[in-house]
Amino acid sequence: MSALIRIARLLVSADPWAMARGAALSVAVLLMGAALLGLSGWFITATGLAGLVGIGIAFDVFRPSAGVRFLALGRAASRYGERLLTHDATLRALAALRVTLLRGFARSDAKTLARLRSEGVLTRIISDVDALDGVILRLILPLAAAALTHALVFFALVWLVGGPVAGVILAGYLPGLALILLRLGRRSIAPSSVAEETAQALRRGTIAMIRDREALILAATLPEREAALRDLDARARRAARHLDQAERGAAAHMSILVAVVAMAAFLAGALLLEAQQVGPATAVIGLFVALALAEAVLPLRRGVAELGRMVGAAARVAPRTELPTGAPPRDEIAAAPLLRLETQGLDLELAAGAALAITGASGIGKTTLMLRISGLIEGEGIRIKGTAPRDWREPALRAVVTAVPQRSALMAGTIRENLCLAGDHSDAELDAAIHAVALAEDIAARGGLSSRLGEGGAGLSGGQARRLCLARGLLCAPEILLLDEPTEGLDARTAEAVLTGIRAALPEALIIAVMHRGAAHGIFDRVVRLAG
Amino acid sequence: MAKDESGAAQRPGSRPGSQIGARILAPVARELRIAGWLSVLSGALWPVQAAAIAWAVSGWAEGGAPFERAWITAGLFVLCAALRAGLEHRAGALLFDAADQTIARNRARLLTREARAPTDAGSARIASLTVQKLQLLQPWITRYHVAMMRASVLPLLLLLLATSQSWLVGLTLLIAGPLIPVFMALVGMAAEDASRRQMSEIGTMNDMLMDRLSAMLDIRLLGAADRTALDFSARAEALRASTMGVLKVAFLSSTVLELFSALGVAMVAVFVGFTLLGEIGFGGWGGGLTLGQGLFLLLIAPEFFQPLRDLAAAWHDRAAGFAVVAELDALDAADRRPVLGQVRRAVPLAGAISVQTRAARAALPGRVVPLPDLTLRAGQSLALTGPSGAGKSTALSALAGLVPLASGALSVCGTALDDTTADAWRERVALMPQRPHFSDETLGDWLDTRGTGADPAAALALADARDVVRRLPGGLEARLGETGGGVSGGEARRLLLARAIFTGADLILADEPTADLDAETAGRIIAALRNLQAEGRTIIVATHDPALAAAMDAQLELGQ
Repeated sequence: MSALIRIARLLVSADPWAMARGAALSVAVLLMGAALLGLSGWFITATGLAGLVGIGIAFDVFRPSAGVRFLALGRAASRYGERLLTHDATLRALAALRVTLLRGFARSDAKTLARLRSEGVLTRIISDVDALDGVILRLILPLAAAALTHALVFFALVWLVGGPVAGVILAGYLPGLALILLRLGRRSIAPSSVAEETAQALRRGTIAMIRDREALILAATLPEREAALRDLDARARRAARHLDQAERGAAAHMSILVAVVAMAAFLAGALLLEAQQVGPATAVIGLFVALALAEAVLPLRRGVAELGRMVGAAARVAPRTELPTGAPPRDEIAAAPLLRLETQGLDLELAAGAALAITGASGIGKTTLMLRISGLIEGEGIRIKGTAPRDWREPALRAVVTAVPQRSALMAGTIRENLCLAGDHSDAELDAAIHAVALAEDIAARGGLSSRLGEGGAGLSGGQARRLCLARGLLCAPEILLLDEPTEGLDARTAEAVLTGIRAALPEALIIAVMHRGAAHGIFDRVVRLAG
Repeated sequence: MAKDESGAAQRPGSRPGSQIGARILAPVARELRIAGWLSVLSGALWPVQAAAIAWAVSGWAEGGAPFERAWITAGLFVLCAALRAGLEHRAGALLFDAADQTIARNRARLLTREARAPTDAGSARIASLTVQKLQLLQPWITRYHVAMMRASVLPLLLLLLATSQSWLVGLTLLIAGPLIPVFMALVGMAAEDASRRQMSEIGTMNDMLMDRLSAMLDIRLLGAADRTALDFSARAEALRASTMGVLKVAFLSSTVLELFSALGVAMVAVFVGFTLLGEIGFGGWGGGLTLGQGLFLLLIAPEFFQPLRDLAAAWHDRAAGFAVVAELDALDAADRRPVLGQVRRAVPLAGAISVQTRAARAALPGRVVPLPDLTLRAGQSLALTGPSGAGKSTALSALAGLVPLASGALSVCGTALDDTTADAWRERVALMPQRPHFSDETLGDWLDTRGTGADPAAALALADARDVVRRLPGGLEARLGETGGGVSGGEARRLLLARAIFTGADLILADEPTADLDAETAGRIIAALRNLQAEGRTIIVATHDPALAAAMDAQLELGQ
């Protein structure tokens, strides 16, 4: 629950002014609805009485009837504004939540970052974020608007009709609603989170069954897997049924509550009438207002029924929105060597302008070493300019070290946007970089730097994508360039051109490449073999 | 748009409406009808409540004691409210059942069909249809039909009641009412468009988020995290601005609908007021109106418009439901690759392993792929080579009974491979696919595809994969996740081989077992395959790797 409150605060603070405007108009709509019905009821009763006693001519019909028309039009207009402003506020909040998540994930360690490539992990994050989208529109705004409307209506009725009628409506609705919503929350929190979890498990399970179908068919265990998924489906639907029961129960209780409160207001009006404190026309106002307030009450149950799903999602998402605890940044020591490695059996001191190839069997820890130098995995025995990677401030470290991982990722957008991920560059610089990785012809053939790539860089071959990522690394112009299998998937001639081009593009940089093939290339002045 | 999709998915000559009715709604038609009537009945109780209030208040005006009629009214009003709540509750239960049955039926059908006879649709698409999209049938079934029924009965009933009190009010409603369906058609479309815009806005934002999260390792290593976040926020802001532009227009049209009903009610209220004052002498039957009649009209007028507005709101549920049905229909009509046999445990096919094909052609969706003529006896090994697309993987699938033949002959252990022998044949075959897929289960369970519970140590040793398991935290208890995070490409391949060996199969089919591996790692896989053959197993590999092909007894080049 505290996680949900954190998320709610984050969403509201995205643009409190937009949120306040939306809430104010929600209240205006509800108040105008209550005023419209109350005024109409009063008007008809009053005109009826005036007609009966024959003073119809003296009765001022124009102000009330103008009021009725004004409220009818005003309510439709405010409803329009309310819809626009609450959607505006919601869209702002959704964007803010996603940006905060991006920043949060950017700070995580290599393991978490690598997991982000899995579709299952990503869909889980997305569906959690989707679950939180309802926090504003279905939970916070309706609750705030209902509370404020009830308070304002109370004071208006005390002034217009009298304490007993106003009191009966407030004392009927508030505790009644609280009880119904608490009960709904208690009954729905478990099934709503089970429904969400089983739906995600069913999705993962379906994908796994189809992708692994050959093994399942050959082992003849496909029927068992299908049965397991049907069980999961049954569980998901059972949870949905419990949720539906809880929600329908709350709906029934709410409509009875509305009737009871309306009748209580009616009887309170009769009481005032009997005490001759008000006339019949004023006595009915409470009844009509109480009926109109149903509009503020009924929407609350949807948000509350989703509470379980929201709480679960918030618990998973909230930790990603926390700010980092500041690590003590230490100043670099200029006199120290650029890179000192005393780890994984290595003992090396590397200077600017050098090029080192690291080989070793797969699984020996080559990639781990690169990630440790980059500061994404904790480890001892690495000093960059005399300071361990974890003691560097993040921006300073990134200015010195750039790494191009083996399974690099591109994004939907133009080639230029992909290259300029880390900073703006002129077209001349971009051309030089793609030339260095022997990609200039391929890009010209595709239509130049402004041609678009699909999601995940779709549209480029594996080798082209690889080289585009290398060019992106070159553009950072780091002092230390780390390359994980830079020539994987390239034919021998291109591989040769790429390595030579990279060396020529960054003559001053220390280049370290992890390779299982081609480590004997001339640009490397040293080759070390990593052993387990 | 939904119409276009469903239209495109129809087979020629069938009408979309009837097919959707038959497929999705016919089995639950009874529930829908009963629920609809219960809900109509609940709506019909409102005039009773309105009359009770009108009766009590007119009593006050006539000078009766305040509580003379109040208690009876209050009792009747609350009783009707409880009755209505009960009716709606029951209707809701029936509707939920109808939706639940429909979803369950379609989901079960997808779950038992899509792995046995797959189409070209990706697993993620099938999963999202099976889990999320089927769920969209629920609002369509639970909201739209009841809204339709209420809209076709209740306004008529209330119109009759209103006219019975005042022909002028009846006339007002009669004129305002039919305008609503006209506007509804306009607004329904606009509202549909608006909701689709918003869904696609959120969808676009989610795609952008997914794209950036999956590239986050690169972004971090490039030091581009801040810039990426700023860029995302700028794009999200641009998307918001453009969406709000669309919503401004779309919401305007639904406001027109609301305005009509609000003005209708206001006109009734003002007219009734003036009549009661005696300033308007016509409109009622035989002169003016009484206070009771006036209040009654005021209370039922909004309910005349409400069902029509509910129907407008439910309109896009129907469109969303139709879109899902269209997708289901398209999937039904798609070409499939049915598996041979029943897919169940069977007594293994008897006799020594042998495989023979003659002029066989495999039937894939939309095309046939010729298979090489080959003859293989127990203990032999064979490499299928040839360029990509020559049909190597298809040949392995056909040998495992995963793809039916279009023509020609394929015999195994001396008998034809068909629906009656496939299950028994597969008891003796293992297939090592090119790309590993690790599910969310322990490595031990993943290796043990047949659920024997035996110790996989020997299979791991044969596949040279013992050190892979030893290195993993938790060993056989480790969970690799779907992409096999924590193992390298070569290690995943050795685990796949161990998994194939562990089934105890006599024939091992391996698809590109050494692709993308360095020479040293590929050498370990080749050695493991040779060990297997030395153990007496029969091996067929599909490969580009000359070293692997040379290590087999024979090579057969496809695509010649």
